[in-house]
Amino acid sequence: MSNKFIGKSVKRVEDKRFITGKGRYTDDIVLPGMTYAYILRSPYAHARIRSIDYSAAEAMQGVVTIMTGEEVGHYGVPCGWQVNFKNGDIMKEPPHPLLVKDKVRHVGDAVAMVVAETRELAQDAAEAIIIDYEVLSAITDASKAVLPGAPLVHDDVPNNICFDWEIGNPKAEVDEAMASAHHVTSLDFVNQRLSPNAMEPRSYIGQYDNVYDKYTLYTSTQNPHLIRLLMCAFVLGLPEHKVRVVGPDVGGGFGSKIYHYTEEALVTLASKKIGRPVKWTETRSEAFQTDAHGRDHVTHAEMGFDAQGNIVGLRIKTFANLGAYLSTFGTAVPTYLHGTLLQGLYTTPKIHLDMTCVFTHTTAVDAYRGAGRPEATFLLERLVDLAALEMGVDPAELRLKNFIPAFDGVTQPGYQTNVALQYDSGNYHSVLERGLEMLGYENFRKEQAEAAKTNKILGVGFSTYIEACGIAPSAVVGSLGARAGLYEVGQVRVQPTGKISVFTGAHSHGQGHETTFAQVVADRLGIPMEDVDIIHGDSDTVAFGMGTYGSRSLAVGGSAIVKSLDKIIEKGAKIAAHKLECSADDIEFKDGKFTVKGTDKSLSFGDIALTAYVPHVYPANLEPGLDFSSFYDPTNFTYPFGCHIAVVEIDKETGFTRVKRFIAVDDVGNVINPMIVDGQIHGGLAQGIGQALFEGVEFDENGQITNGSYMDYTMPRADDLPMFELDRQVTPCPHNPLGVKGAGEAGCIGSTPAVVNAVIDALWSAGHKVKDVRMPMTPERVWKAMQPA
Amino acid sequence: MELNGSYILPASTQKIWEMLMNPDTLAKVTPGISRLELESENVYKAIAEVKIGPVSGKFEGKAEVLHPVAAESFTLNVHQNSKIGNVSAHIKMHLKAVSEHETELSFAGKAHMSGLLARTGNRVMSGVANTLTKQFFQNFEDELAAKAEV
Repeated sequence: MSNKFIGKSVKRVEDKRFITGKGRYTDDIVLPGMTYAYILRSPYAHARIRSIDYSAAEAMQGVVTIMTGEEVGHYGVPCGWQVNFKNGDIMKEPPHPLLVKDKVRHVGDAVAMVVAETRELAQDAAEAIIIDYEVLSAITDASKAVLPGAPLVHDDVPNNICFDWEIGNPKAEVDEAMASAHHVTSLDFVNQRLSPNAMEPRSYIGQYDNVYDKYTLYTSTQNPHLIRLLMCAFVLGLPEHKVRVVGPDVGGGFGSKIYHYTEEALVTLASKKIGRPVKWTETRSEAFQTDAHGRDHVTHAEMGFDAQGNIVGLRIKTFANLGAYLSTFGTAVPTYLHGTLLQGLYTTPKIHLDMTCVFTHTTAVDAYRGAGRPEATFLLERLVDLAALEMGVDPAELRLKNFIPAFDGVTQPGYQTNVALQYDSGNYHSVLERGLEMLGYENFRKEQAEAAKTNKILGVGFSTYIEACGIAPSAVVGSLGARAGLYEVGQVRVQPTGKISVFTGAHSHGQGHETTFAQVVADRLGIPMEDVDIIHGDSDTVAFGMGTYGSRSLAVGGSAIVKSLDKIIEKGAKIAAHKLECSADDIEFKDGKFTVKGTDKSLSFGDIALTAYVPHVYPANLEPGLDFSSFYDPTNFTYPFGCHIAVVEIDKETGFTRVKRFIAVDDVGNVINPMIVDGQIHGGLAQGIGQALFEGVEFDENGQITNGSYMDYTMPRADDLPMFELDRQVTPCPHNPLGVKGAGEAGCIGSTPAVVNAVIDALWSAGHKVKDVRMPMTPERVWKAMQPA
Repeated sequence: MELNGSYILPASTQKIWEMLMNPDTLAKVTPGISRLELESENVYKAIAEVKIGPVSGKFEGKAEVLHPVAAESFTLNVHQNSKIGNVSAHIKMHLKAVSEHETELSFAGKAHMSGLLARTGNRVMSGVANTLTKQFFQNFEDELAAKAEV
């Protein structure tokens, strides 16, 4: 062990190639004899295909092959998480074919794939395919899709209901608590649909090698091994050992690249069919239609309080939109990643969520940065802030009164919630108190009162969040319907010269693993960071892995690496003891040296590495080599938490809202690289503020996406955001060796309700007592909220 | 997208009606239409090329005249396909004599767009429609003037 790198803002080693334009992404890969695919997609949200005529297209110059649902429609991609109806029936799981042959179910549904010598020739040919559609009426709103007479997405799924589900205390107990409440705050709201907008569009290359009978899939994915497993075992029936999946540099995912997409299987099949590599890269327009969307809940929620302001109950009815097909984790997001977080930071004694998950004629919905947890935080934090306004009490005081008391999870037990989870460790009061201090709360309220008399009104919004990260203990998620384990694999190979190759199943697509993981390894072994290489993203070199999502890479993937490092140090001590003629118990490992305790007799880590590979003087009964692989399955989720505070200024004349200040005090456990954690928080905050003020996928009454381009879909930009004011608190995770909790999603989970609450607070300060302004809170919506009803 | 408007044209209702029912004239005055062929009674095959702002494409499809009441009203059903998306429109047209030599032509209906057309530049699309409508009536007037000179 040494202490040179952990906790230091070491500059990211991967950034040299990224900022000099030398990253190697899937679309950069050109293979000999490569062909290019173009996918013909439905322009309609719901239509029956009467006929497909591709005879003219097939005869066009440069066309190699054309595939339709007739040929590959019997293959389909699976859902990775089974959730059952309240009555125990298994969820409705209609097929999601690689190409549809009967009817299309959302704009962008794939109908045919043309493979040609160039991308342009493929597109020209695809446009010559004549499809006769019988256009049917479409439904896009989940709460309306369940009504009698709504058009059906799948003919055999009544009322479009995939399943209904509940969690928490028995409904009758919650009803009773609500009935006895002194005050009930109720709120109807929409947590709108978001497009993930990773900077790199999805891109895949299928390559079949007939000499070795081996398939390679290059894919812009967050989890190459999971894609291999799903595609081999559940889609194409290929032997797993004959399939290599490579996820090279990947330009952002935010969840949207977790899932197994139909196009991955299509390029694989096409490559085998024509005996040449097939590349497909989506356009931005296709990304808007086909990258799994996020959020999309329609909710009615009520929170009950006693006369002293203590929360006595929480009752929720939500319709979650799953889109037209089940994406890989689509069913888990509104249930186990959402319902289980409804305790929040509060001691709420009675909670009940009634959830209905619904098919609509829209793009599939799945995890998007935060995945279910932002929706839970939004719900709770909107209710608490609104309740404070309604009851005329201070929103910060109301929170402090209802927070779970601090517990470290070591000397004090974890906190058992009413919604299945047991929190590991937390200290919730202090993050809010620190936030108030940074804000200068008392002063702010004075400023606000002054501003209320002017045209530029001010508001402050609070959001105190908790999330379940470090996904996930396999046995727990297995009992909840996950069809995979969620451990991670970490292999540490010490080379004979003492250099280290680390193979991790986590996948880096912007998170900086090559730096953070190397900091951990270098400090544990007491060697320079330059001696450590982090290798990921290739199923042929990395033993196995579950990938990156749910803020799990360091908490789960890092812990697997630490397990292997422990084994290396233990074996190294045995080798050192043999050479130094003492007992292994007498060896201590520090600063890269194996030393006989109490003496100056020592051997360096490099000496031991060389001895392991040149075992001339070597312990009997000990294998040569220094190379360990470990699987780490966490015992619990990790629970980062924090306090986000937004200050907004609204122009009364235009409704234009500016985020004036944004304060975030996060507790993500121990921090390996503060600069990277800050970067993660910054990015998450931008996305969360983006949802509050700018973003949202809109459909017209026919199910057309009406803002599917960057001319129409507003992304947050640097000049929309203030300088973020960050601080951190550290409550180590008690159950993993690094004490880390995860920081990838925190910014996005906490920030959205803070901004909405700030707008509502500003409106109330000027006498407009509205409960909600629908997101995105455009100037038009905010202005309307200030006009007399 | 809602399509509504009216315009006063300097000719009798009978004259306007005849021009509206004449595919050659219609092809001339409708912006972007390069060909309009009578397929069967009241059904036309239409080929159009439109380029305004973000919208640019070649459209092919049908235009159908429904419920014609001579010199009074008809309904226009249009379905056009293109690489960048399809357009369906259902528009009611009314002719009303303002005076012996003036006719008010009003229209009301809806257009539905799909594909890239729907996804891109939606907020400027009604502007595009307005421009096209203005052009249509301007062309119509020019055509009337041209006919008067002959």
